[in-house]
Amino acid sequence: MRCLITCLGLLLLSQPLYASFLADRVQEEHLANGLTLLMLERHDAPTVSAYITFRVGGANEGQSNRGIAHLLEHMLFKGTKTLGTSDYLAEKPLLTKIEAVGSRIDRLKNDPDTVPEKLEELRKILRQLQQQHKQYIVKSEFSRIYAENGGVGFNAFTSKDQTTYLISLPANKLELWASIESDRLQNAVLREFYIEREVVREERRRSYESNPSGMLYEALIANAFTVHPYRNPVIGWDSDIENLSLAAARDFFERYYRPVNMVITLVGDFKSQYALQLVKNYFGAIPAGTRVPRVVSVEPPQHGEKRITINFDAEPALSIAFHKPAMPAPDDYCADLLMDILAGGSSSRLYKRLVVEEQLASDVRIYGAPGSRYANLLVIDATPRYPHTATELETVIYQELDRLKTEPVTTAELKRARNRLVTDNLRQMRSNKGLARLLSSYAALGDWRYMTGYADRIETIDASQLIAFANRYLLASNRTVVVLKREVK
Amino acid sequence: MQAVLSIILLLLLVGCSFPPAHQPVRPDALTFPSLKFDFPKVEHVTLANGIEVYLRSDHDIPLIEITSMIGGGSIFDPPDKTGLSALFVKGLQTGGAGEFSPQRFEQTLENMAADLTVTSSSYAYSIDMSMRRQDLSAGFGLLADVLRRPLFDSRRIEVARQGLIEGVRRRNDDPGSIAGRTLAQSIYRNHPFGRTAKKKSLSLIVRADLLALHQTYFQPNNLSIAVSGDIDLNELKTLLFQTLGDWNEAPLPNLEPPKLPEMPSKGGILIADKDIPQTTIMLGQPGIDKNNPDMMALKVANFILGGGGFNSRMMREIRSNHGLAYSVYSYFQIGRELPELFIAKCETKCESTLEVVSLMRAQMQKMVDTPVSDAELTTAKESLINSFVFAFNNSHSIVTRQQRLDFYAYPEDYMQSYRQKIAAITTDDVLRVSRKYLHPDKLQIVLVGRRNDFEQDPAAALGLPVENIDLDNDY
Repeated sequence: MRCLITCLGLLLLSQPLYASFLADRVQEEHLANGLTLLMLERHDAPTVSAYITFRVGGANEGQSNRGIAHLLEHMLFKGTKTLGTSDYLAEKPLLTKIEAVGSRIDRLKNDPDTVPEKLEELRKILRQLQQQHKQYIVKSEFSRIYAENGGVGFNAFTSKDQTTYLISLPANKLELWASIESDRLQNAVLREFYIEREVVREERRRSYESNPSGMLYEALIANAFTVHPYRNPVIGWDSDIENLSLAAARDFFERYYRPVNMVITLVGDFKSQYALQLVKNYFGAIPAGTRVPRVVSVEPPQHGEKRITINFDAEPALSIAFHKPAMPAPDDYCADLLMDILAGGSSSRLYKRLVVEEQLASDVRIYGAPGSRYANLLVIDATPRYPHTATELETVIYQELDRLKTEPVTTAELKRARNRLVTDNLRQMRSNKGLARLLSSYAALGDWRYMTGYADRIETIDASQLIAFANRYLLASNRTVVVLKREVK
Repeated sequence: MQAVLSIILLLLLVGCSFPPAHQPVRPDALTFPSLKFDFPKVEHVTLANGIEVYLRSDHDIPLIEITSMIGGGSIFDPPDKTGLSALFVKGLQTGGAGEFSPQRFEQTLENMAADLTVTSSSYAYSIDMSMRRQDLSAGFGLLADVLRRPLFDSRRIEVARQGLIEGVRRRNDDPGSIAGRTLAQSIYRNHPFGRTAKKKSLSLIVRADLLALHQTYFQPNNLSIAVSGDIDLNELKTLLFQTLGDWNEAPLPNLEPPKLPEMPSKGGILIADKDIPQTTIMLGQPGIDKNNPDMMALKVANFILGGGGFNSRMMREIRSNHGLAYSVYSYFQIGRELPELFIAKCETKCESTLEVVSLMRAQMQKMVDTPVSDAELTTAKESLINSFVFAFNNSHSIVTRQQRLDFYAYPEDYMQSYRQKIAAITTDDVLRVSRKYLHPDKLQIVLVGRRNDFEQDPAAALGLPVENIDLDNDY
């Protein structure tokens, strides 16, 4: 998340002129219904990137609807009452029937007393209804209209804390975006649900069940947290996905996809005055809704190392996570600096020692995960180099972490880390899309201005605070270790 | 008076351009102002020693990006030293340069928060660099050292070699990587396009090979440099003169690529049995190069078949109608010199593997059998034409596009005529090129997944011979 935090503050440090220039250029507006609009004009190319972010994600799900934020995101590409259908009124009774049969199947399929023939009969009926439904479906109309108008990167992503819908368009098509997106928000029809659920199961197989790094990551997060919903994969577990209901998707949509939870970010070649009016016209009449409630679960302190083994048909891999606070806690700034000093580049401590000097690993990476709104994790991934083992890597990693607890990092290391944090974020601002993503996520997590002092803050952090951080968090009792390797039979 | 007039004019303009107060029509019935688009200018100079220099100034952010391209590339790796280019670029990036030991080089770069990455592709070596404006002079100094005075530190070469060998060990971890190289091997066989580095070939490479490669290809008259960001032409020319001006041109190496073997005339199935719940499916057959006159028609045809995302037939059928996949697509690799491949890719649970292969082939067959609809043709053409402006969406993509077009000797009017050429494509063109280039009965079909879970015997289901790929034997 540091990328979001630094984006504005960094400029104060290295380019004071640019900081004020950007501060002047981001225009923030709030509609009466609570919708937040951020605009930044850039007229170098005749294009606009448009992001809509909702302050809701996987962390806002419960036991009964895990995976719904992500499945809903898929469902919102299926059209509205006017798009994606040849005749909504004629289609509607079929949709009702499909849902009735589909939810009946879902109830029965988990009941041990269900007669298999009954289930098969219902599935046949569902297939017939789906076949009938096809006559009304106009496939992927959002996608077609955007494409024909030159749109690129029409997509969406769901994370722990937020869900974002994005597109880049030629500059003259901004009204097309407003028209489609406001229609989608007010008139979405969640058609073809039971087929899309299968698509998401394939997505899960692809990203987690057939992919060693995906599986390792999922196991790390699921085991590091005991209580907090950050533990659940955003995509859901397989049995979650196959039991998600249309009613749950609709409920999530109606409850949370509301202007008070919504940030629109536009970056590119447009006039703010025009864009503001456009957003007011198209989104201004939508009722405000209520805020997404804050997650109340608090992850209790960990009292001892958690250690997990994953058997997978792949070469060994190691992942280690330590609990730490989220932004804007002072310790989160320390984490950003320490992460860069440990594994931020070729001259970082862990990379130098593990990869270059001792050649125990072929790679080492470090990052914050899995979300940014609630207390999260500092994660170290390392790839053992044959014939070295994950255990050998762990030994060296812990030696380096222990060193941080007593020896201050050097002035040169601290300076390098600050420079790199600042500059890496500057790099993300080169494209309209990158800048829109930054502003959008930042605003969804709080306020895009909230951390403009970031560069100043990391400037004030000294070596003694990093020692304190290491002693507080980089402890055996606070860590989760996952090793992925082939099963020894 | 003039001020008053301007204000009135402004009000009128603003008044006219305000959007309507209510949503009047379906989104696709809206009308839009026309888009003002001029081809962005790129400054281009050739230095006395032959270096081609491209610049797109952009003072929005105090950063400078540089992409250097050098003719050469992995297609020239000797067969017994496959992986030479991969080791060479690692050695160049990490082996130190000029007065800088490897460690000092890395520290100097990272102290400036600069990035420097060297990569190789079939026909080129590329050095990508990003730096802050304040470090311009030091940054260009480091770049010149890498280009002209690399040290290839022996110890760092070993680190790089061991890293690549570890990569070879790990190449069966990812089903997509198995599928990709199996497909290339099945079509190109022993041609450089089909070969992959092995522990043995990497072990045979010595430091002198890297020095010789550098000596052969890294000459100013074989170098092109594209720069974007917070710098002007005069400043750039001064820096280049200071750092590269005394570098003399030399005879150029032979850059004629090795001829392709005869392409397979029959289809086949290649199966790598791997204990995962989802099969990676990759279909491939010989395709085209950039000089092929059918390229634009194929762009349109492939958009409709599998290149147009949700607007493509493969996605619509396999994902949206059947729920059998998350990702499915097809593309033509446009060969810069030699023709490359047509590829279609999908992942589905092992239990629906053969069904999905059949659906993909059926979509190819339909392109061959029946003309596409006018609506599909319109969507494909409008999308390709109207998204054209995104080819020029940021300064570095603008300048490197020009660099690449020249480097690979594309026709001079390639970009200027692109939209007209797409606009001229007809359904007949699409049918003709589909028949010429899509041969669903002659595909190489690669399947990586749990074979026992396939629905039935693949040979019987698909009517093609099966070859098993031994994953253990590949190291």
